[in-house]
Amino acid sequence: MTPEQQVPRNALAWMILCLFTLVAPHAGRIPFWVLLVYVVAVVWRIQVYRGHWSFPGRWVKLALILSATGGIFLSFGSLIGLEPTVALLLTAFALKLTELVGRKDAYVLIFLGYFICITEFLFSQDLLIVFYMAFNVLLLTTALVALHQPGEQRFNRSSLRLAGVMLLQAFPLMVVLFFLFPRIGPLWTVPIKSHSAKTGMSDFLRPGDVSNLSQSAEVAFRVEFDGEIPAFTDLYWRGLVMSRLEDGAWRSLRYWDVPPGERRAPVLDTSGEGLEYSVIMEPTQQNWLYSLGYSRSATSGVMELSDYRLYSPVAVEQESQYRVQSWPDTRRDPTLTDWRRTQELRLPETGNPLTRELALELKTQADSDQAFVDTVLNYFTRNPFVYTLQPPLLGDDPMDQFLFQTRRGFCEHYAYAFVMMMREAGVPARIVAGYMGGEVNPVNRTVIVHQFDAHAWAEVWLDGQGWVRVDPTAAVAPDRIEWGLEQAVAGEGSFLAQSPLSPLRYRNIDLINMLRLRYDALTYSWQAWVTGFNSEQQYEFLNNLLGEVSASRFVVVLLGTWALVLTPVALSLLMRRRRHRLAPEDRQYLVFCERMARMGVVREPWESPSAFAGRAARKLPRFAEQIDAITARYEALSYQPGADSDERAQQHRELRQQVRRLQLAY
Amino acid sequence: MGGGVIDGGLKQRWQSRFREWVNRRIPPARSVTLDQRRIFIFPSRVGFFFFGCLLLMLMAAINYENNLAFGLTFLLTTLFVVGVLHTYANLSGLTIHAVRAQSAFPGQQAEFELRLERGKRRDHYALHLKWPDSDEALENIAGEDAITVRLHTAVGERGWYNPGRLLLESTYPLGLLRCWTWIDLDLRALVYPRPLSSPALPGLAQDQPDGTAVPIPGSDDFYGFRDYREGDSLRQVYWKGLARGQALQSKQYAAYADRSVWLDWDMFEGLGTEQRLSHLCYWAITLDRDNEEYGLRIPGVVIQPTWGDKHRDEVLRALALHGVERPR
Repeated sequence: MTPEQQVPRNALAWMILCLFTLVAPHAGRIPFWVLLVYVVAVVWRIQVYRGHWSFPGRWVKLALILSATGGIFLSFGSLIGLEPTVALLLTAFALKLTELVGRKDAYVLIFLGYFICITEFLFSQDLLIVFYMAFNVLLLTTALVALHQPGEQRFNRSSLRLAGVMLLQAFPLMVVLFFLFPRIGPLWTVPIKSHSAKTGMSDFLRPGDVSNLSQSAEVAFRVEFDGEIPAFTDLYWRGLVMSRLEDGAWRSLRYWDVPPGERRAPVLDTSGEGLEYSVIMEPTQQNWLYSLGYSRSATSGVMELSDYRLYSPVAVEQESQYRVQSWPDTRRDPTLTDWRRTQELRLPETGNPLTRELALELKTQADSDQAFVDTVLNYFTRNPFVYTLQPPLLGDDPMDQFLFQTRRGFCEHYAYAFVMMMREAGVPARIVAGYMGGEVNPVNRTVIVHQFDAHAWAEVWLDGQGWVRVDPTAAVAPDRIEWGLEQAVAGEGSFLAQSPLSPLRYRNIDLINMLRLRYDALTYSWQAWVTGFNSEQQYEFLNNLLGEVSASRFVVVLLGTWALVLTPVALSLLMRRRRHRLAPEDRQYLVFCERMARMGVVREPWESPSAFAGRAARKLPRFAEQIDAITARYEALSYQPGADSDERAQQHRELRQQVRRLQLAY
Repeated sequence: MGGGVIDGGLKQRWQSRFREWVNRRIPPARSVTLDQRRIFIFPSRVGFFFFGCLLLMLMAAINYENNLAFGLTFLLTTLFVVGVLHTYANLSGLTIHAVRAQSAFPGQQAEFELRLERGKRRDHYALHLKWPDSDEALENIAGEDAITVRLHTAVGERGWYNPGRLLLESTYPLGLLRCWTWIDLDLRALVYPRPLSSPALPGLAQDQPDGTAVPIPGSDDFYGFRDYREGDSLRQVYWKGLARGQALQSKQYAAYADRSVWLDWDMFEGLGTEQRLSHLCYWAITLDRDNEEYGLRIPGVVIQPTWGDKHRDEVLRALALHGVERPR
């Protein structure tokens, strides 16, 4: 191997460091034995370096690859999907180290490392992760630079510094490219995260499900309103509309449950004041999007369904942003189709006989549907019902048990009982699941909706009014609707009981709360401008910035900004020649030498002034005197220190005159 | 066949065209400072591989609609762009001085000495130097202002050996770009005639012995010491004395200068020029080894008999350059 192809020791050290820092954030997603592969690979390579072991042979390598693939298959049960692919990539990354011989292998390893950074972003786009991955990119680039410093065996900082400088210089160029590069949709379907848990509200609601979700302090989504933020009690974020009760659980109507004629969401005449806002969702791995009342969205990939909710055909796998226009006062479904009415009245044939009986009994007391709604709500208020985060488990006839025995429930219990009684009595009704309320961040005026804001309520269809929102929880625990969950369950002490370290539990400590809100505001900006940046936002942004979105503007902006950044870089790199400050006598002597060269006598680099003078005088006898005089003065100035400055200045002047005279004489 | 000939002709024409262009662009000089006229830059093979990787990353970013993946892909793309400047700067401002070329006999390796000087206080790494037929050198200029590089190349026949254009290239710092230059340093190695032994010196031209006793080398009798003078053979140096801390002295041997040999062109009557020169060369080396006093008489050059390393070099140089024009 030529010296050029060898891998310097410090490059090897940087690469080993990268190996560990890159696998660290993935550690929770890959089988434990992959981490062992990393340790073994590094030990092996170090032993090879020390001359104790040798590189694995061809058969050993083949066996390693096969067993790694087999191991991944056994651990995940398949090789298809994002997680197994990433695990395979990470294993290959470690194994590549054991056969890292020359520079070519090092390139493969480093480029693979860059790719692994990207795989991390498919799982998390958190701000902290991004800082960490930026650090990894710096390490990888350092390894790449160190690879090209032959003979630099010591672990030095020069490669780190250069890599840092280059990345910093590249950064502004990257930002320009980031905002200008057209965001086109996916070109083909890619392996998805098959193994990540779905989070947030699920399309399967049984008593106890929402109260479970409400234990979590995670953020569900953040909302930024264009105008004023509506009142807290109006923040009903509709996500799922559950019209079907099957096997004791509520769910929404699936695409194939709806006949083709009913699938399209009718476009309604809006009334009342409209709201405009954008929502940034945290990944849920599910399809529902949240909005207030009757909503429309111009964001591509957002559908409106016939039960007036927003829906994403592809699961929300990463933070994503959509814009919404809502008109909460708009009347939805002034008339009900027969099919729709049937759906919203449907109940299982049997079960919960006491509840049904109660519903029919209460119905006889009411003379209208509206009055019946009030009667049922009244029933909840009059009887000793308790709103609790820790509802007891229910048996086969859950509503009978709830209404007549336990009387302790969370929002889904009340919504379930309410809708069931409505349907039994012939009033079309359905459960709506989503979130209620949210925390207003004073730093940037966004509304933060947490998982503990999860809520379920009901909608009933009343003649002349269409679908009307009814929240049975309000009849039991008005605090929940006015102040939020924390106040509603304050007496119970159950708020976030399972997350003692969540900063949300320390909202009463100003400093912690302020820090939390500031970080949340930063996260919001990050999501709005970076991770959630999409084609609509790009169009709007560029349109505002450039006046129009056209290819020629793009080219001008791209080249203009790049030139703006690259010119100073180039100048600092290339122009700042270290000028030797020549002594004045040296300068004059060089002028003299140039003169001589033009006259045909070139001073050789090794020639002393006197030797040159001798040669030049022989060649140009006409100028012999002048040549000797200049040389003598130059030597005197150069080699006789001590003369005072006035005298030297005088001598310099004379030397300059002599040289000039010689120039004129020729 | 005909096509091949045409192709070959075309290729040659192109090559000569290219050589002319390079000659115009980078004329021969003893010292060359690299600037934008002399430096060429293009993505290396690794650079193209890197492009492939970037494309793969871009595909991942598009298909997963992941903005951070876009960001990293673009950061690496622009790192490449910035790398153009840094790779270029690694060669820019370097000055390459031709120091000297050692003379050699045909078939031997001549040593070429270069000096690389940096223009400003920045380190230069992985400078790869090579003449078309020479060995390679891989050097850094880090922490010092100049380095000396020695390259060796096998020389051809008698006369001036031109090693061609020096290739100086580097892929530092990222390896994604290759930056290079071809410079003609105007550095020529002198190639002596190939020594050809002949059993005896034919027609040995002996001057009349004058019988004066002069200290000449090659005699057996020790005569005395004198201070070392330039030109004294290193074999005469009194090393033991030097080791004892005395001044550098040469040993003198006494003999009667009964003969000083003239190496004469006409000694090898009937032979071709090259053969004559080869024989003369052989005898010059032999006589020098034996510390004989010898002179050289060839058409156009007469060198008076004397001895010593300097003398030998002078004689060999005259033989090497017989009938050779000044180097082009």
